[in-house]
Amino acid sequence: MEFDAIVVGSGITGGWAAKELTEAGLKVLMIERGREIRHQQDYATETKAPWEMPFRGEGDAELYAHDYPVQMLNRHFNEYTQGHFVNDAENPYVTPGGKEFTWFRSYQLGGRSLTWGRQTYRWSDYDFDANRRDGFGTDWPIRYADVAPWYDKVEDFIGVSGAAEGLAQLPDGRFQPPMALNAVEQHTREAIRQRWPERCLTIGRTANLTQEKEGRTVCQHRSICARGCSFGAYFSTQSSTLPAAQKTGRLTVITDAVVEAVEHDPATGRATGVRYLDTRTRTRKTVTARLVFLNAGAFNSVHILLNSGVANSSGVLGTHIMDHANTLSAMALMPGFEGRTSFGNRPTGVIVARYRNMDTMDGVGHTRGFSFQGGALQSTWTAGKREAGIGEDYKAKLRSPGMWRMVLVGFAECLPRATNRLTLDRSRKDANGLPVLNIDFDFGKEERAALAQAKADAGEMLTAAGGKVIMGFDRPGAGGTAIHEMGGARMGHDPRTSVLNKWSQAHDVPNLFVTDGAQMSSSACQNPSLTYMALTARACDAAVSMLREGKL
Amino acid sequence: MGRMRVTDTVAEQARKGWDRRDFLGGAALLAMALGIPAAAVKLSRLDPHEAPSARQLQVLREVSQLVIPSTDTPGAGDVGVAEFVALALAHGLEGSRARVDASQNPGLAAFRRSDHSLDHAGWLQHELNRRGGADFLTLDQPARAATLAALDAEAFAEGVREHPWRRIKGLILTGYYTSEVGGSQELRFELVPGRWDPDLPLAPGSRAWSSDWTAVDFG
Repeated sequence: MEFDAIVVGSGITGGWAAKELTEAGLKVLMIERGREIRHQQDYATETKAPWEMPFRGEGDAELYAHDYPVQMLNRHFNEYTQGHFVNDAENPYVTPGGKEFTWFRSYQLGGRSLTWGRQTYRWSDYDFDANRRDGFGTDWPIRYADVAPWYDKVEDFIGVSGAAEGLAQLPDGRFQPPMALNAVEQHTREAIRQRWPERCLTIGRTANLTQEKEGRTVCQHRSICARGCSFGAYFSTQSSTLPAAQKTGRLTVITDAVVEAVEHDPATGRATGVRYLDTRTRTRKTVTARLVFLNAGAFNSVHILLNSGVANSSGVLGTHIMDHANTLSAMALMPGFEGRTSFGNRPTGVIVARYRNMDTMDGVGHTRGFSFQGGALQSTWTAGKREAGIGEDYKAKLRSPGMWRMVLVGFAECLPRATNRLTLDRSRKDANGLPVLNIDFDFGKEERAALAQAKADAGEMLTAAGGKVIMGFDRPGAGGTAIHEMGGARMGHDPRTSVLNKWSQAHDVPNLFVTDGAQMSSSACQNPSLTYMALTARACDAAVSMLREGKL
Repeated sequence: MGRMRVTDTVAEQARKGWDRRDFLGGAALLAMALGIPAAAVKLSRLDPHEAPSARQLQVLREVSQLVIPSTDTPGAGDVGVAEFVALALAHGLEGSRARVDASQNPGLAAFRRSDHSLDHAGWLQHELNRRGGADFLTLDQPARAATLAALDAEAFAEGVREHPWRRIKGLILTGYYTSEVGGSQELRFELVPGRWDPDLPLAPGSRAWSSDWTAVDFG
């Protein structure tokens, strides 16, 4: 079968590439390494209650210690969702001695679009201009104005609920109505604004619907999204981009197929297709197409390129990888709201937009930004695990919602550094015979300084809101903790120092595009998925134009 | 109540020695009681002879009931929490497979399992017998409650960071509030709230939602 384009990966950006390319009239093959998961049919645990689960939703700790030692650290990993995460024992990677990296992965149709946190933020020119301004990394070849129309397009399609705040550093999008702050969050927003007018706490902008879309229902406020949502209420490949691509009649999907390499013709300098391993038949196959889009997830797209030996005349392929440095900056008890509660599970928290190092360089020991995400919640029976007591009074106490507390988790921008890099360890092979990825990553003094300032600021803000701060940290979790690993095939002006140009197109291989997190040249301090989607839609448009103009 | 009969059968299995096959059988019965396909319940890699004895299971049941007694809703011992705790201890929930640290408490060394983790059920039985000055299960109700309350107070005293009783009590709470009775009668359960009400008055004595997953995870 002949294809115009191959899309490697079916996650957040793979789904977008498939949709955009098929809607432009191309015949597309989407290749997914994991199993098929069908919308509404294969969300096996979606409606289970804890008492219907073998380990009550907590999961088999013994199994996890052996097979999921990394994935189990994911906020969204539990007994209901474990089937949406990789088995670590079967999917090894290595880190150099003394360094850690928690690489969260979902190898299945839909990829991490099924398990993502759904936080959806535009980047601003504080972000796209960051490398140029302080000299770390390479200058982005694009600015906000280049991406803005694509943000519009993506938001319109996926559905993003959020509140417009008019912030230059966190531009408003085309929002569905916001979900409301709870009483404690609303009070904290006002208390912060009163003392620091430039600091804005707002509801987390989330890809959960508050208005219906075609084939998708509004959010039911279960907040169990990562099990899979038959309402289609959050954006996933299954709920959104895949049906759109399939509707064109021009999409072919292959699952259980691990792409090993981009096939390349040295005579023409063009990609000819990809080689993949069919993991069910254990046979290797090659498919050809005029265009190849890599959307395997940042680190796996880089893995494929390194294993292919293409797109690396610059020598920077694999370097300058990033993840947000994050930690629990402050947790506070919030007295005064004992008579208040809420109903329903809101699938988003709050964000405090960046306020440091914008027009005044007021960061202490760092030149970039940090922001906070978190929220206010009431404790419940699990608080009893920390308390003395037995018997009727204890039971009675655990019956009612407990004390309100508020948490602010700091997300600090990560500098792009050449020393943070991916390589292939050719001495170690995985079950498919592919060299395993070596992830050499550490945060530097700038991220640590940012988190120190974030801790101090977070404590002050919660105190100003009447909270009693009970803990706070300034040391970042291991790299990967934020699940925003990115970079490795950075975009740049100069083919000698970057892998991709401003169209997410390989400088060295004109018909090869990399539009997932691998293309990122800096990390900002807000969630990156929306930007990946916007850049994917933009790259598809450019690729189709180039194809039509005979330039590819 | 069907569940009660089934969990009694688990205890029956246990009394016969709780060998590998019986353990699997017990787990499968428990699974049936909970409406789970038996195939989903995996056999632990722990030695079968390290599973709790029938007597220890009885202690766990009594202790569960003392922590969460029967009031206008059934107690923890009534709803099979002891059996859940046994399963959870075998599979290392609540950190129960961590290596024994006997440096703070040399008494723990005697209850080391083959994987160097603590035999919590054996330790608990021994500890309660020692404190009660007799077989715990032969004490009268007030004496049992007082004995357990003293252990509980010690485990949660200022400065104590880790204690085997904390883990056992944690599992009792998990077992109870994730059971159908604990989750949907003692507390309230709504899988599909359908709406978000951000600010409501909270009347004293209102029951919390066991389906408030954020509160369960982070509260």
